[in-house]
Amino acid sequence: MRRYLKILLLPIISVSLFVLVYYQNLSPKLGLDLQGGISVILTAEEGTDQELIEQAVEIMRTRIEAFGDVQEPEISISGANSVLVQLPGVTDQERAIEALGTTGLLTFRPVLDSSITTGYSPALKVIPSTEDPEKLTTAVKTGVTGVDEVIGISLVDNPEFESYILSINSGYPVIYQLGPAELTGNDISDAIAVFPENEWIVSLEFKNESANLFTELTKKLASETGDRRKLAIVLDGEVVSAPGIAFGVDPTVGITGGTAAISMGNADGGEAANNLAIILRYGALPVSFERSSIQKVSATLGEDTLNLGLQAGLVGLIIVSLYLIFYYRLLGLVAIFGLTSFGLLFYSVITLLGKYQGFTLTLSGIAGIIVSIGLAADSYIVTFEKFKDEIKIGRSFQFAADKAAIDAWKTILTADFVSLSAAILLYVLAIGPIRGFALALGVATIFDLLFTRLYTRNTVPLASSLSRNSRAFFPIKMKDLRND
Amino acid sequence: MIKKLFIGSTNIDFLKVGRLFYRIFIIESFIFLSVAVLSITGVLNINLSVDFTGGTTYQLEAPYENSEIDQVMASSILDVSRYQTFENSNSIIFRATENTQEKETEFLFYLANKFDIPDENIDFQRVGPTFGDEITTKGVQALIIFLTLVVLLISYRYEFKYSLIALIALTHDLLLVFSIYVLLGLEITPSTIIALLTILGYSLYDTVILFDKLNDSIKSSKFSYLAEGSLNKTFNEVLMRSLNTSITSAIPIASILFLGNYLGLSGTLSDFALPLFIGILSGTYSSIFVTVPFLAKIINK
Repeated sequence: MRRYLKILLLPIISVSLFVLVYYQNLSPKLGLDLQGGISVILTAEEGTDQELIEQAVEIMRTRIEAFGDVQEPEISISGANSVLVQLPGVTDQERAIEALGTTGLLTFRPVLDSSITTGYSPALKVIPSTEDPEKLTTAVKTGVTGVDEVIGISLVDNPEFESYILSINSGYPVIYQLGPAELTGNDISDAIAVFPENEWIVSLEFKNESANLFTELTKKLASETGDRRKLAIVLDGEVVSAPGIAFGVDPTVGITGGTAAISMGNADGGEAANNLAIILRYGALPVSFERSSIQKVSATLGEDTLNLGLQAGLVGLIIVSLYLIFYYRLLGLVAIFGLTSFGLLFYSVITLLGKYQGFTLTLSGIAGIIVSIGLAADSYIVTFEKFKDEIKIGRSFQFAADKAAIDAWKTILTADFVSLSAAILLYVLAIGPIRGFALALGVATIFDLLFTRLYTRNTVPLASSLSRNSRAFFPIKMKDLRND
Repeated sequence: MIKKLFIGSTNIDFLKVGRLFYRIFIIESFIFLSVAVLSITGVLNINLSVDFTGGTTYQLEAPYENSEIDQVMASSILDVSRYQTFENSNSIIFRATENTQEKETEFLFYLANKFDIPDENIDFQRVGPTFGDEITTKGVQALIIFLTLVVLLISYRYEFKYSLIALIALTHDLLLVFSIYVLLGLEITPSTIIALLTILGYSLYDTVILFDKLNDSIKSSKFSYLAEGSLNKTFNEVLMRSLNTSITSAIPIASILFLGNYLGLSGTLSDFALPLFIGILSGTYSSIFVTVPFLAKIINK
């Protein structure tokens, strides 16, 4: 009775999992190469240091991980100054790409002057026409360089120098004249999006050593009035907000506690605030990127390959089955039943991993599965051959089967241990596509061990008791087998 | 013969055959070494895919004339290095060396125009050389750790000497696949590297089974070593087992290769299946004919 239980345990688990998966209409999550998807190339300025790009890619990877709902994203350096981002599936890719490619260079800069009172950029001066005093023209003030001559905004925002930067967040455009950055995103230790009342804010916490800088800065600002009392928060060359230091702040004390907040409004349900918090938490990209090309991988090619993989797997399975039946007869049936159950379990587990762990099945994953069919079949062959060896030296069927099953377990344990360590190593060391392969191989090896231990070990002795004729197990007469 | 093979009563004198295969092994080693030296010095060209060299691939499906392909190859927009077509389908793949993005996009539209298909139907891939580097570096890391583990495991389970023989067999398989790739000018893609790592697993599986069988025979013999006769018998017996496990492993992979070829599909899956297929054949060969001469030597010393 116990034996039957052990034999049926794995097949029952396999079939019930499969039924569960089937009735819930689940199917494996497919990777970019199998289902199509979007692939974006982000390009930095030419001649950018390779190391900076590598850093940027690392930061992008942490950002996308924090993002959560993107399946198996692939981010890799591509060409001298580009980053290739591949996002399979279609869930909210636009937002993910946005969050990835945003530089996230945050600076805190004192406001020196603004267009609020005058109506034009502080970089410009107004010259009344000599003929018609009503008619005004503007010109760039002497000593100011690098600004647009018509609107007076800095062409390039360099945080180390004075700049003229636009803000549109307050509803109408304001041009601020800003001093060099006193603090940057690097001074922030944590950022979270919160919704205290009426609007979203990103709450910032400064690193210990930077908190003093912030206090000093606010002390200085608290002694000023008007525009010069404001502190601008600049993100990627745009003033996000420029709050004035509250009048209650004592110029000899400043703002202590090491926190600050950025108001984000309430328009998008906190999406912008959450994105910004993620970007700030993992730091700014050391270089800024442009989306130079977006490519869709066509779904048809992916589908063709998927079908090829499935057909090849099926054809392979059928031929292996025929071979096993021809060669091992009754035992072949044992192997086929085991392999089918192995296949159902594998399919169900990959599907469930896709649903609950976000595991995506890529082409290399399919290759891993096809490889593991072969490995699983090998384990049966090892057992059956041991069985044959034992019969050959004159053992009874029953004894031979028991011994073969026990001996084979040891051999398979060693061989599978090797495969498993290879799979784990590949998984730990590998990037993108190799991982899917390693995971498939690792899972298959563990299943193989389970099946060998429970199913094969108990089924072979049972099958061997069904017949006394060697032709039921091997394509050869008993006489020839023993006659050695 | 088949019957004999099945019972394991073939009478191959492995010790005699061993000497012959030992010579073959020496010749093979010489070939591997010269291929390695020639490809490092640049005399032989290693055909690396865009993933390693950087560049672009365009894959499209449209009815075409050979003259059209010639025109594309002569196009002045990009330096198109190679193209690939398939017998049973209308797929064409062009590969070009790296260029500016404007040029690459221009070429995309040029192809769309030339073959009269919408440009979103062209699969476009642009890769920098660093991606391949990363895979290679990680692959080599994995290889070193894996081999160390194998040596430790086999030394623990069997004997230290056995692990050296396993290493020889493994290296043989890797170099054989590599040499075939270099000599036939086949394209090496990241999938090839993954496949090479997988081959290690297969080859080792076969080798472990041989060691296991040998260990059983030594245990059941009264002495701590094997007489020449029983050594031979063991090798003969294990022959069918190795063949069988290899055949069942090779069938699914062969079906990828042949189905893929029949349906006119190429790509990652075939890139993967071909080196695996060669590797399995080589692993079967090496697990018997490379290991046996060495085993015979150390066992009966």
